[in-house]
Formats: sequence, C-alpha cells, structure tokens
Amino acid sequence: MSLELTPSSFLRIGQLSNVDLNEDIHELETEVPRQRPNEIPHNEKLLSLKYESLDYDNSENQLFLEEERRINHAAFRTVEIKRWVICAMIGILTGLVACFIDIVVENLAGLKYRVVKDNIDKFTAKGGLSFSLLLWATLNASVVMVGSLIVAFIEPVAAGSGIPQIKCYLNGVKIPHVVRLKTLVIKVCGVILSVVGGLAVGKEGPMIHSGSVIAAGISQGRSTSLKRDFKIFEYFRRDTEKRDFVSAGAAAGVSAAFGAPVGGVLFSLEEGASFWNQFLTWRIFFASMISTFTLNSVLSVYHGNAWDLSSPGLINFGRFDSEKMGYTIQEIPIFIFMGVVGGILGALFNALNYWLTMFRIRYIHRPCLQVVEAMLVAAVTATVGFVMIYCSRDCQPIQGSSVAYPLQLFCADGEYNSMATAFFNTPEKSVVNLFHDPPGSYNPMTLGMFTLMYFFLACWTYGLTVSAGVFIPSLLIGAAWGRLFGISLSYLTRGSIWADPGKYALMGAAAQLGGIVRMTLSLTVIMMEATGNVTYGFPIMLVLMTAKIVGDYFVEGLYDMHIQLQSVPFLHWEAPVTSHSLTAREVMSTPVTCLRRIERVGTVVDILSDTSSNHNGFPVVESNPDTTQVAGLRGLILRSQLIVLLKHKVFVERANRSLVQRRLKLKDFRDAYPRFPPIQSIHVSQDERECMIDLSEFMNPSPYTVPQEASLPRVFKLFRALGLRHLVVVDNRNEVVGMVTRKDLARYRLGKEGLEELSLAQT
Amino acid sequence: MAPPRSACRALLPALALALLGLAAAAGPRQTPPLELAQELAEELWSAGLPGDLPELEPECRSLLGAFAEGSAALTGCLGRRARPVRLCQGCHGHYRRLLAQYGSIARAVGNSSESHNCAKSILTSDRLQIVVTLSEFFNETWEAANCANCLKNNSEGLSNSTEEFLDLFNKSLTCFEHNLQGQGIDLSPNNYTEVCKNCNETYTKLNDLYNHLQRMNRQGGESAHSAHLCIDVEDAMNITRKLWSRTFNCSLPCSDTVPVIAVSSFILFLPIVFYLSSFLHSKQKKRILILPKRIQSNANLVNIQEKYS
Repeated sequence: MSLELTPSSFLRIGQLSNVDLNEDIHELETEVPRQRPNEIPHNEKLLSLKYESLDYDNSENQLFLEEERRINHAAFRTVEIKRWVICAMIGILTGLVACFIDIVVENLAGLKYRVVKDNIDKFTAKGGLSFSLLLWATLNASVVMVGSLIVAFIEPVAAGSGIPQIKCYLNGVKIPHVVRLKTLVIKVCGVILSVVGGLAVGKEGPMIHSGSVIAAGISQGRSTSLKRDFKIFEYFRRDTEKRDFVSAGAAAGVSAAFGAPVGGVLFSLEEGASFWNQFLTWRIFFASMISTFTLNSVLSVYHGNAWDLSSPGLINFGRFDSEKMGYTIQEIPIFIFMGVVGGILGALFNALNYWLTMFRIRYIHRPCLQVVEAMLVAAVTATVGFVMIYCSRDCQPIQGSSVAYPLQLFCADGEYNSMATAFFNTPEKSVVNLFHDPPGSYNPMTLGMFTLMYFFLACWTYGLTVSAGVFIPSLLIGAAWGRLFGISLSYLTRGSIWADPGKYALMGAAAQLGGIVRMTLSLTVIMMEATGNVTYGFPIMLVLMTAKIVGDYFVEGLYDMHIQLQSVPFLHWEAPVTSHSLTAREVMSTPVTCLRRIERVGTVVDILSDTSSNHNGFPVVESNPDTTQVAGLRGLILRSQLIVLLKHKVFVERANRSLVQRRLKLKDFRDAYPRFPPIQSIHVSQDERECMIDLSEFMNPSPYTVPQEASLPRVFKLFRALGLRHLVVVDNRNEVVGMVTRKDLARYRLGKEGLEELSLAQT
Repeated sequence: MAPPRSACRALLPALALALLGLAAAAGPRQTPPLELAQELAEELWSAGLPGDLPELEPECRSLLGAFAEGSAALTGCLGRRARPVRLCQGCHGHYRRLLAQYGSIARAVGNSSESHNCAKSILTSDRLQIVVTLSEFFNETWEAANCANCLKNNSEGLSNSTEEFLDLFNKSLTCFEHNLQGQGIDLSPNNYTEVCKNCNETYTKLNDLYNHLQRMNRQGGESAHSAHLCIDVEDAMNITRKLWSRTFNCSLPCSDTVPVIAVSSFILFLPIVFYLSSFLHSKQKKRILILPKRIQSNANLVNIQEKYS
C-alpha cells in the first residue's frame, strides 16, 4: 500500500488521464504522510468494491450431485411445473401492483389538482394568485418530501427508475438490497408520492424494478424481511434460478407498464441475453402476458366496463388509426430527420444529467440534503408550471375537448388555458393529449416554451433521491417538440396532406426516448405495442436507430452512464475490441489466497475476517504440507459455504468424536441463502481454532480454469457466457497463479481515445 | 356503350320475374301468393317497368307518404333553427312524430297478404334504402345534439332544469339589451363597463347554473355523448359567454403580477442558494483507492502504450 506504487497503478495512456486527478495525487504525495490510503474525488473511472457477482454458475460439489441424483424424472417434472406456477404468480402480482399504483396515483393526483384548481379559480376572481402558487408549491414539496424521506432514509437503492439496477442484476452484479421486499414497498410508495408530487417523472420505469423484486421474492417462497418462510420452492434458492425469475419479473413489469408483453420479453432479452434459452423465453412471455392481462382486467373492472379490456398498460397511447394518422412513404425522410434531432437532444440531456449527477455524488451525499433537494425541485416544478400558465395567453374553447382539469384563469368564459393541459396534469395524460388532441389545440409558442422548460425540469429531476422513471418525461418532451415540428411542417408546406400533428408527436416521442435511453429492439416493440399499430413499426424503428447512432456519437445512454457513475463492474457484450494484446497473466489478481483441502479452522477464520481482503472464492489446493512447492488446484470454495461450515462446526475432530452428528445437507446452505451471516457473528473458541476442517466434500471440484496465456477476449467470453464469478488462472502444472473476477475484467473499458483502465475504490 | 345498355333493359323484366319467382318459391306453404306473384310478374312483363308500380299496397303507400311529409317538416324545422341553435326546443314534436311514423312502417303488415308487409317492401327491397337512411340521419343528429338531455323522460316538452336555464338566459339577454340601450352604437369596446356591472349577478347565476348542470350530468352517466348537455343549452351559454367575454370584455383582467413574480422568483432563487451552499460547505465525498494485486502493472502499461502512442 505504499505510495511509490501509486502513479503506476493508474494506467495513463498518453495524457488522457484526468488532469485534476493527477494534481490531487501530487498534493497527496506532498502533504499526506505515507501509508495513508489514497483518496480521490469520485469520478466515472472507478469500480466500487461494494458490488459483488452473483453465483450464476452452480457449485457442483458432492452434496449437490447427490441431491440431483436423488431427484428422479417425475420430480424434475414437478420442478418444471413449479416454475410455471411461479411465473403465473409473478405476472398476477406485478399486474396487481401496477393497478394499485395506477389507481392510487389517479385518485391522489385528482384530489390535488381539484384542490389547486378550486383555489386558483377562487383567487382569480378575488385577487391574490400568489397564494395559489404557494399552495401548489407547498403541496408538491410536502408530498415529495415524504417520498424522498422514505427513499433517502429507509432504502436508498429504491431511488431512480431502477432500470440500471435491474440491468446490473441481470448482468450478474449483486446490488445490495435491490430485490428485497422493503425495496418494493418503498419503491411503490415512492413512485406514487413523486408522481402525485408533480415532479417531471413517470411511474413506468419503477414497474420494472417492482416486477423484478416480486419475482425474486416469490421464487424463494419466503421473505427474509418479514421473517416468514413458507417452505415452498426451496429448490429455487440459489442465484441461478433467482436470476432467471428476475428476468421474468422485469419482463412482466415492462409489460404491465406499457401493455407490451412482447416488448417486455425483448427487454429481458436485450438486458440479460447471455443466459437465455427457449424454454425460459416462453416462460417469460407467459409471465408478461399474465401481467398485462391482470392489469387490464382489474383496471377495466375499476373503470366500470368490466369486459372491455381497454387498458392494457399503465400508459395507454390511445388508438392510432391507420386511416386518420397513416403515414406516406415521403414522410420517412422527415421521420429520420426527427430521429437525428432526438439523438442530439438526448445526448444533450444525458450530458447535462451527467454533470448534475457527478455534482450530486460529490456534494449532495447526505440524506437530509438529498431530501431538501428533492423538495426544492418539486417546488420549482410547480412554480415554473404556474408561471408558464400565468403568462400564457393561449386560450382554447372548452367545448369538445377532453381536458381533465380545465383551468380558466384569465381566459374568456368557456375557454381554458392551453398551457395548463400540459403542465396542470399528470405527465401520462399530457403525453396522450399531445398525441391525440385535434390539430390546432396548441399554439406553437406554447409548445415551444413547454418543451424547453420540461426538458430542463426532467433533466434536473432524474437522479434525485426519489423513485421515479424517465420514460414518460422523455416521451413528453419528444411529443411536445414532435407536435411543434408537425405544426410547423404543415404551416411551411401549406398542405393538408400532413395535417395531423399527432403522428409527429409520436415520432418525436420515440426519437427523444431513444436518444436518452438508447434501447433499440425492445423499445421499438414497446412503442409499437403501446400504439397498437403495427404499421408504425417501420418508422419507429428508423427513428430509434437514427437517434441511437447520432446520440452514441456524443455520449452514451442514460442508464449506462448511471451504471458507470455508480462504479458498477458491468460487463458489456464483449471485451473491448482492442484488448487482444492483454493476456490472463496481466488481467488476473495475484497472489491468490488459497486454502488446503484439509485446513486448520484458525486459518480459515483469519482469512475470512481479514478486512483488507474481502475475497469470496478460495481455490482449494492439495494439502501436502511437506512439499515446499505450491500444490495443484483441487477445487474452489466460496466464502458463504465456509461460513455455513463454520457455523455448523463441521470439523474433522468433531466428526470423529460423535458419529451421530447429522451430516450437513444442501438444505443447510439454502436456508442461509441469500443473507449469509458475517464472519464476525460466528464464534469460534480457542480450542476449535486448532481443529481441522475437510473441504473436499463441499468445494466445487471442477472449477473453470484458464491458462496464463489466454487472451482477454477469450477469458471475457468464458466469464460472461457462463456467468462465472471466479475464474482460476493456472500454469501448466495446474498450480494456481491467479484469479480473474468480474472487477478484473470490467476494469478495461474502451474510452474515447482507446483502452482505459479503471481503478478500484472503496465507496 | 349503347348495345349493352339495351341488353340490360331487356334483361330487367326477366330479372324481376326471376326474383319474384324466387321470392314466391321461397315463400311458405300457400298457393295464392304464388299465383299473385305470377300475375304481378306478368303485369310487369307486359308493362315493361311502368312508372307507377302496382307493387306497393295502398296502406304502405300512405305510410310512406306520411313519413315523407314528416321528414320534410323535421328537415325544415332543423334548418330553420340551426342558428341560434334551438333544435331541441323547437323540433322535438316533429322528431317524435317521425319516430312514430317510422315505427309504424317498420311494424306495419299489409292487410291483403301476410308474407308481404310494408316493412319489407319499403325498407329493404332496394340497395339505397332511402327511408332507413333518412331515419338514421335524423336519429344520429338527435343523438349528436343530445336533445334527450334537456327533454323530459317521456320526451314531451323540456325538462324543468332546462326551462329554468332558458329563463335565466332570457333574463340575462334582456339585461344586456336594457343596459346597452341608453348608450350610443358607436361605443368603443372598453365602454361596456355598465353592462358588466349591472348584469354581473344574472350572468353569474346563469354561469353557475350551467356549471351545476354540467356537473350533475357528468356524474349521471359515463358514456361519451352524455358528457355534453343538450345543444340548445350549450349554444345559449356559448353565445352569452362570448358576448360577455369578447364583446363586452367583462372577463377578469390579468392581476397580481407583482406578487406572483415576487413569490416565484423567491422560489426559483432557493435552488441556487442550496447548490451554492452545498458546494461551498459540504465536504466533498472522497473515494479511497484500493491498489490491485497484479504482477506487472508496468509491463501492462507499456504494452498498451506501445499500441496507442
């Protein structure tokens, strides 16, 4: 840990490394006494030690093999049936949670808008509108305060849309607390509060997270938060199975959010595709369908037309008729141009949000500050909305329009303020209004101002400590400028052929969303399914493609950016293209802490409690203390397994002493999953430290290994495709020389000017 | 083009015959209708499609005539009362009568033969089906105007709330007129303040009643058209509102500019303070770097540098 090593530990390629960072180091070198750990401000070129991998690969030890052998053919069939049952339950529960959110938001937001509207109506006549403004701002701020408090103080991982977290989980990164019941509760309440609080957010993104938590919870048949174990589905208590169900849950969430079952399946496919098979796809599709159907039937019962089934998703884009809103082939270049605009605006959004997020991580890290920030944003959102409405002179006749809360203000009687339809409404409703209001409902000026304001508000809002999604704000921004574009187009051409601005609003929405999140396949299908019109598939695809290409030229997608800012060791599809020159020898960590096959308990306890190295996997080598040379690799054992062994005191001496002692079963490992106790909580007496522990029965005797000469892309492929957590590097005598883990691989990233190396940091 | 047309003409009687024959053959059990049809067909054949068809029975013909007159009357009524809209008040009698006439056509059965009723011969025997089209048009218009909303349940006369509304409406119009009379015609738009002051009470009452009716209506039914009041009431209100806000310019002026600007700029100023203070006072979060355990970081570095420098 001495500082002489420091400069070389940063990989500097030419002069591209952060200049500030270097200065900081030099300062540290001069001022701080040596042996102090190296401190730097947070930046995006870090990997956090907080994140660990999932054990997607089964530990095929003797216990496991015995159990698998005991299970006969019929029992496997039962397991398969259980999987289907779980998927159905995931679908139903996700649908119900979506219904709950929708109904509560609708009622609370309705209440809020009625109160504010009555107040505004009253004070318009009497004078004193500043009180209405204060009322609106205070209401928003207090609702958001509650939403932000629960997130900041109870479960910070519930902040944001949750899509980056789920993306990481499906990638194989274990984000602490991400699939807990508590997270689900906070997420659902938080979303309701932030939407009701009038922030520029949507409730669709968090549905994906909610669906994933539901899936993870149900598939385990118990809740550790509630301390209830239903003694069912015990077979699925391991990372492999859980992760498959989580992908089903994410799909069910997408499907409930947008009424897009196929889109949901493709979302899971796009995010977690390296572990995919047909049966799983079919099951996930089943869960998605069940989810959207549940939402649809419950909501249609709630809306009073029970057999209508007209609300398949939380957001409903409404009907896009081919006749009225069809497009012609001449319009396709225009759509592509809109894609370019969307890409540029999306990149701008992401770049601004990047700076903001960096500032937030560095300076606004205390929970109370985060709550204050969220409240301020809520108050400012209300104020901006109010001022815009107040200043707008765009009045539209109320007859024949479908405005939920028409605000008259200074308009003539029988007319409403057109700006208020956009601001004085939940974002979902505003999106649908922009798509479907007849031509002429909006003044170009109104739309322009709205786009501008909402763009900055949405950008400012994303990343706050509230649980909220970015889908709807993006759609709203896009729909607003898309509609503006459509209006000006028909104005310029003076033609009636391209009369309907609604389809331009749709394309603008697609372009903006694509420019921000950069999803491709799944987003196309989601948009297509949400509009319910397959003919729009082609232009939407073109728009999204263009937006992605243009946007990627500037900065990366919002979710990837946030994953990077969180210092998550995320593995992309493939190793960086220019990394062939690196070999496993340079990538691996060395020296490796190895255990002998029959190891002294004291050594194990010491290794596990060493705070400087929180290793999770230990290669097991032949226990031959006589020979001086390192013995060959025999297997791999995980920290969690060692802890269970220590807890049950499975020592060689004890086994000899009492033969009646129960043999440890796989069930004991499963019962401890997923929250294994820390080593500090296990008491090992001084006598016991001298005992020996035999690992041969519990270790995985066939761990994956690579030779030292293997190239990085090869190691990467093996690691990513099999979902490994530890990959042992051996020499030609099968001796352990190093260990490759996720963080060793995720270090290398293709930056703007070539291969970059990230540094490890404690966060 | 000529030969085909003449061929058509020649074909027509044959076709009619065939059709009638078919209809007769398909007809139930009795022989007289069959004979009758044959007679008819022969008549057709000999007459070569005469102007006045003997096909329609006298009863049916009178029904048809009544319907034609009724629809003419209704059309006239609708047209005359198009602006300002007084459809529901003025034409509900005509509409009701027409409905009854259509109903009797649809129900009526010719006396002479059971199988051959008026409904069939008037409503469904040709492609155009003009009677059906007309009646559909009237029904749709009536639905769109949502007249049922301001009529009593048995649709005889206006409902009480509508009467009340129209009463108030007339009162406010009288008030407007009354207040405008004393002044000259050459008023600039700003000089209507008298009207605004004097008629405010009546107008507010009218407006409130209208809003109340609307609210009641919205609570009552969920279907799309019942969200509207009937067109007469809507139009009356529209006219009044336009007069009030546009012509007389009595709607509320933009007020409170200073306090609103003050409050909003205060709120907008808060985040700046917040961010500045947290930037200046909050301790920047530092990350502790962990040195990785590797063999040859230097070789590694060289390796890449060679490649990229």
